[in-house]
Amino acid sequence: MATIQFKQVSKVYEGGVRAVDAIDLSIGEGEFCVLVGPSGCGKSTTLRMLAGLEDITDGTLELDAQCVNDLSAKDRDIAFVFQNYALYPHLTVAQNIAFGLESRRTHRSALVAALRGNSAARHAESAAIEARVASVSHTLGLDALLQRRPRELSGGQRQRVAVGRAIARDPKVFLFDEPLSNLDARLRIETRAELRQLHRRLRATIVYVTHDQEEAMTLADRLVVMHEGRIQQNATPAQCYDAPANRFVASFIGTPPMNIIDGTIETREGQCSFVASGIRVALPSRWAPFSNTPRAITLGIRPDRVHISNASSNAIPATVESIESLGDRTDVALRCAMGRILMRSLPESLQNIREGDAVHVACDPAHIHLFDAGVAGARLTPIA
Amino acid sequence: MKTRAFQYFLLTLGAAAFAFPLWWMCVVSLETPQRAEAAITGSAGIALIPSDPQWSNYLHAMRETGSDPWWGFIDALSNSIVVTVLVVVGTVLSSSLVGYAFARLRFRGSRSMFLLMLATMMLPGQVTMIPLFLLFREFGWIDSILPLVVPAYFGNAFFIFMYRQFIAQIPESLVEAARVDGLGHFAIWWKIILPLCKPVSAICAVFTFIGTWNDFLGPLIYLHTDESSTLAVALNSFKNQYGGLEDVHLLMALSLLTMIPCIVLFIAAQKTFVEGLARGAVKG
Repeated sequence: MATIQFKQVSKVYEGGVRAVDAIDLSIGEGEFCVLVGPSGCGKSTTLRMLAGLEDITDGTLELDAQCVNDLSAKDRDIAFVFQNYALYPHLTVAQNIAFGLESRRTHRSALVAALRGNSAARHAESAAIEARVASVSHTLGLDALLQRRPRELSGGQRQRVAVGRAIARDPKVFLFDEPLSNLDARLRIETRAELRQLHRRLRATIVYVTHDQEEAMTLADRLVVMHEGRIQQNATPAQCYDAPANRFVASFIGTPPMNIIDGTIETREGQCSFVASGIRVALPSRWAPFSNTPRAITLGIRPDRVHISNASSNAIPATVESIESLGDRTDVALRCAMGRILMRSLPESLQNIREGDAVHVACDPAHIHLFDAGVAGARLTPIA
Repeated sequence: MKTRAFQYFLLTLGAAAFAFPLWWMCVVSLETPQRAEAAITGSAGIALIPSDPQWSNYLHAMRETGSDPWWGFIDALSNSIVVTVLVVVGTVLSSSLVGYAFARLRFRGSRSMFLLMLATMMLPGQVTMIPLFLLFREFGWIDSILPLVVPAYFGNAFFIFMYRQFIAQIPESLVEAARVDGLGHFAIWWKIILPLCKPVSAICAVFTFIGTWNDFLGPLIYLHTDESSTLAVALNSFKNQYGGLEDVHLLMALSLLTMIPCIVLFIAAQKTFVEGLARGAVKG
């Protein structure tokens, strides 16, 4: 177990591409930290810098309060699970799991040990490695596969071997680079639960990279949302969902994504409202301080906080564009003057609605989020 | 069905054409001196399978090789084995190591060095022959196996190129996984890359083996005594001594003996040529 600290860490590739831009991040002992973001956001580069597979251009990276900028990968005592598993194809499962232990043993050669007269110590070391492989493979249910080679395994089994190889060494930190992305949907959910259990059992510090926000939400103790090489939000999954730090996080976290509508905020006749394309949505009074002078603003509302309503002053007239039934819930796409709005409801509440119908929808005012205008718009915090 | 039969017919015809010289050598080497000579001069036909195979021809040929009975052959054979094994090991190790460096290490000037290395392939061997001879004479290496063996430990441009292309296709993550597992570049090459390069190593080993085993010019230039000569040179001396028509059966017997290791090796390594070991390394 270890603590990890990124201090103003940057990575600039040859040709001037700035993959990671002065990030500050501190990960505590035993924490399950998930880096999430779209492709090219710098999450994998951050992980690879932590592993020692990429040089750090600028800043300081500390493991257990010690700078490891110039420490090679093999000396950092970390384990890395790759997206494609990277199992050694010419070795059996047992040899793959033992590989890291073998390469770190003190008595490497049987001949040298015999010459030096410490064969007994070497035997003891070999026995310890064997016992470790047996215990790890038992934990992961790999006992029956130990003599197989990677090409004889299924995707899920290979993934487990890769995890086994990582835990066999009992490293300070585990790094996972999109380890579930090659599995089918069902296996992914199962493995997700297994990883969570494994973390509970090992209480190890884990840094996990994924582009799948659902995976990120379910696994993380702490979620780090990245975009264009910068950290957008570093908080618990619930905080990222309920109080996204900016417009990017708001639209990235959550499935289906949050509805984002550009407009202005203003107060007319004592009522603070959001106005877009001539449509006015009344806002609770706690937003009033932001509306003293009319200003451009972005409104965000989660699809499950939009509902069909009666024609009232606060309702938005819309047309039903499409209805997708998912069994336990139904996603409805609506077209209104403000643009496209997604709504997620229980099937019972939508029984009389058909595609093409004209309806009115309303937003749950307590769950409206407001952001500064612009792509990087920061969250506005209402007065409590 | 008809096309298939025709294909087989063509293939059989081709195989027969290529196998003919070998078969002919084999038959002549087993004939009596008179019948062999008659077959060579065309004054008599040759049996498909000799009715009375003279196996003693082989013993006779071995005994008559070199100036010392039996020892001439044993010396030449052991010299050939030592030189060939050392050259094969050296070529495989050095070429794969350099190939790994070109494929996986990022260093200043790697591209231009790679091109320079490829350019050396365009240089005919005859051009470097005299400078190399002068160099090795300066080292005092003449009449030792060193001039034949040592250059193999500095890589072979063609095989380096082959290894580099092959290694470039091995997923980078395998190398990275090994780095995280605590291996340095040298250990990665030895424990991960070399075992995965089996198909290339087989090709490299077989071609180097055949080339070195049959090499005549190199040993002729650098090895001057009977004791140090290799089989190819000994065979040539044998030809000079027993090149007459009356001894053609012995020449064929010795030629065939010289060829056996190459043929056996080729058959044994055939399977590895086509085997792609990297299958299943990653997601599949």
